[in-house]
Amino acid sequence: VCVAGYGQSDGNEILQLIPPPRLLTEETQGLCPERDFKVECGGFSERPVYSLRYVPDTSLLVTSGPPDSSLQVWQVSAEDSDVIKPVSTIATENGTGQSWAKIATISARAPWVLHGSRLDRVQITEVESRKNVYTAASRGSEELSGLAFLDCNTLLLCCATGRLCLADIRQPQSLVEATSVPLAPCSERWCMGTRHGPQGLEPSSQPVARLSSRGLLTLTDLRKTSEFLALARARVPSPGSGAEFLCISWAPALEGYLAISGFDGTVHVYDTQSWDSSGREAEPIFVHKGHVFGGAGGSRDPPLVTVHMWHLQKPRTLLSAASDGSLHVWDWVQPCGKC
Amino acid sequence: AGQDVGRSCILVSIAGKNVMLDCGMHMGYNDDRRFPDFSYITQNGRLTDFLDCVIISHFHLDHCGALPYFSEMVGYDGPIYMTHPTKAICPILLEDYRKITVDKKGETNFFTSQMIKDCMKKVVAVHLHQTVQVDEELEIKAYYAGHVLGAAMFQIRVGCESVVYTGDYNMTPDRHLGAAWIDKCRPDLLISESTYATTIRDSKRCRERDFLKKVHETVERGGKVLIPVFALGRAQELCILLETFWERMNLKAPIYFSTGLTEKANHYYKLFITWTNQKIRKTFVQRNMFEFKHIKAFDRAFADNPGPMVVFATPGMLHAGQSLQIFRKWAGNEKNMVIMPGYCVQGTVGHKILSGQRKLEMEGRQILEVKMQVEYMSFSAHADAKGIMQLIRQAEPRNVLLVHGEAKKMEFLKQKIEQEFHVSCFMPANGETTTILTNPCIPVDISLGLLKRETAIGPVPDAKKPKLMHGTLLMKDNSFRLVSPEQALKELGLAEHQLRFTCRVHIQDPRKEHETGLRVYNHLKGILKDYSVQHLPDGSITVESILIQATAHSEDQGTKVLLVSWTYQDEELGSYLTSLLKKGLPQGTP
Repeated sequence: VCVAGYGQSDGNEILQLIPPPRLLTEETQGLCPERDFKVECGGFSERPVYSLRYVPDTSLLVTSGPPDSSLQVWQVSAEDSDVIKPVSTIATENGTGQSWAKIATISARAPWVLHGSRLDRVQITEVESRKNVYTAASRGSEELSGLAFLDCNTLLLCCATGRLCLADIRQPQSLVEATSVPLAPCSERWCMGTRHGPQGLEPSSQPVARLSSRGLLTLTDLRKTSEFLALARARVPSPGSGAEFLCISWAPALEGYLAISGFDGTVHVYDTQSWDSSGREAEPIFVHKGHVFGGAGGSRDPPLVTVHMWHLQKPRTLLSAASDGSLHVWDWVQPCGKC
Repeated sequence: AGQDVGRSCILVSIAGKNVMLDCGMHMGYNDDRRFPDFSYITQNGRLTDFLDCVIISHFHLDHCGALPYFSEMVGYDGPIYMTHPTKAICPILLEDYRKITVDKKGETNFFTSQMIKDCMKKVVAVHLHQTVQVDEELEIKAYYAGHVLGAAMFQIRVGCESVVYTGDYNMTPDRHLGAAWIDKCRPDLLISESTYATTIRDSKRCRERDFLKKVHETVERGGKVLIPVFALGRAQELCILLETFWERMNLKAPIYFSTGLTEKANHYYKLFITWTNQKIRKTFVQRNMFEFKHIKAFDRAFADNPGPMVVFATPGMLHAGQSLQIFRKWAGNEKNMVIMPGYCVQGTVGHKILSGQRKLEMEGRQILEVKMQVEYMSFSAHADAKGIMQLIRQAEPRNVLLVHGEAKKMEFLKQKIEQEFHVSCFMPANGETTTILTNPCIPVDISLGLLKRETAIGPVPDAKKPKLMHGTLLMKDNSFRLVSPEQALKELGLAEHQLRFTCRVHIQDPRKEHETGLRVYNHLKGILKDYSVQHLPDGSITVESILIQATAHSEDQGTKVLLVSWTYQDEELGSYLTSLLKKGLPQGTP
């Protein structure tokens, strides 16, 4: 597990933590020798870290954050030291008013990082050599809220306006618009979540989920983008500051389950299998409220969940982090017949 | 203890004084390696002569276990300092350990009961925040460290140099002890333990809740819970925790605490009530927190009683005694549970079952099959990374030294400390010597005349800001005095000399000296607007106190020689003027 700070002043830390043994193993043990997280290694970042991705099959990690859209590459595990060292910077041309880059990594042909802060600035860079491998054709300059590798050739880009674009890196000139936004755009901000299905299935067969800052949830099949697979509404407060922490993700081990966060100090879990296209309010399976009650001082702002993710093996376990520096690892119990 | 857990023993040399901090035993070894290697201290001298004192931070055996060996078998007769609770409890634990090692295991090269007694006679007990004069120059002071009853952090001061040694400490209060605290004493060096430096603590609430859940579940299904503990330390914490839980949930299953050390433990907590936390002290009048309603004294026979129960039994690692006996009785039933609440040394039954062994070989080649549930949860009270940073923030040391952790895993913490506090951080290994440079303050007397004169110069002195003064330092015998230069000369019978420099600048000017002088004057007046430039009646020019005279060159009518003359004090201005004049006079100057 890697956590990083995003404070304004420099001296943000990046910490690679080893979770306590009970979270690493498959079976649910009882009490465990250590319940604590161990800092395996740590580093110092001068800029706030807004996005962080490991580069698979390497000991490298890539981060991005304001003030510009460049990326920082770090070396994680060294034999003789526990310090995460900065290795290089992947510079990008700085246009005006660019925010930080969103990133995704893959190591199919080589360790690559897909990054960009705007739709017209999307590129793939080889991490070690910092060479540009691919640049997406420009189809507008909206801000991006997320990007992902669907497989080693297919990219999915999500704009903050909700627009989804597909690209095939073997055909650099084509950028396919996947779908348009459901309702009239009204300054909502959107983000997306993709899921890797079982090996062998075509990547675009997995539905893409999108979440708006007003709580609208859409599921789209990329092969048939003219209609929605499902449309629902989450009961959430309007997010306070700009909705930059909206996050939606599919459960890797539970079919049809997804989680959302970024509105307040809670994380909601939904079972999308009961959804239809009506846009009705959906009832969450579970709401994690731990961050709201965790804090110390009462006078401070209530914590905001900045990011969440699912445990890769344990089906109902999630990790979430909040603006007060807390990290929670939690699960929920499926309600049985009786109440 | 450098980079190794167990067997704490640190030697500090400060301003010529030698202090030994802690004298612990390594619980993992069964031979001489369990004791520190005292030959590091001095090759052939007597330890009593070399060491000025020994300080023990708390009663855990990895901090005091080698003390009787050190004082009675190796030989040391000087003072040994520790807090009152430590002095009371140490001998009990030492005796306990001696019994097990010698009587049960039959070892021979070990200290005797008499040695423990003789050793404790050399102990001087100290109070918190009491400054103790060890000798004329060396003084020590104890601060509250949390962790266990009586644990203290010690400040050692000689003159204006000081070191703070933390021993083991805890920055978060728990149910029966407060948190460590130290004032902003700004020591030259802070020696801190860093066992848990790389740990980020799980929330205490979650940990306790899990523990209680497990105990509750076992008891609900009729099982028995064994919790092996050391008599003093976490046991009290867990007792308070269970007692509160039992009360809240109205549970009926009996909880027992093994006899022998129970009364003594309670007795010590009552005796040293000021060493416990606020809440206990406050409620003590109404109700003694250590007199439990639901926890009763244990009798060996109870172990065979049917039905659920919880038992706290010593010793903590299941290596002997009552806890091992009970364990053997209960191990075969899967409804039962044993919860290990702390670190277990290799070789003990506790360590074996925690590693997953389920068939143990007992004495007489008997095999014990362990079907009971084995759990381990650590409630240890050590400072984590956050706590260490907090302590550094409180004390504001100039340097930090970390002990008790693994070298590779402390690099990040070292950088973090260096970056945040701008101090140097060291992590020596066993046997390694670290030298810290200090800036000692040397007191100097300043003459009244000088003081008056210097304070009159410049702006009014601010009481809170340092002021720069100039004077002459006289060192005679052992006294240092700061006096004015004139007085120094007088006292030493020296005459004052003045240094004067004269420089010749050649300039091309066919006119008479007098006119050249005027040209120079006008030129300088125009450039040096902030300075006082005067033209004297005799034709010479002064710039502040520097004199310039124009004279004719002896051989060349067209050249004039400017003599620029200044005293040593005006060196800077003099050089500047010279280089300015060397550039020549501008053409149009009248």
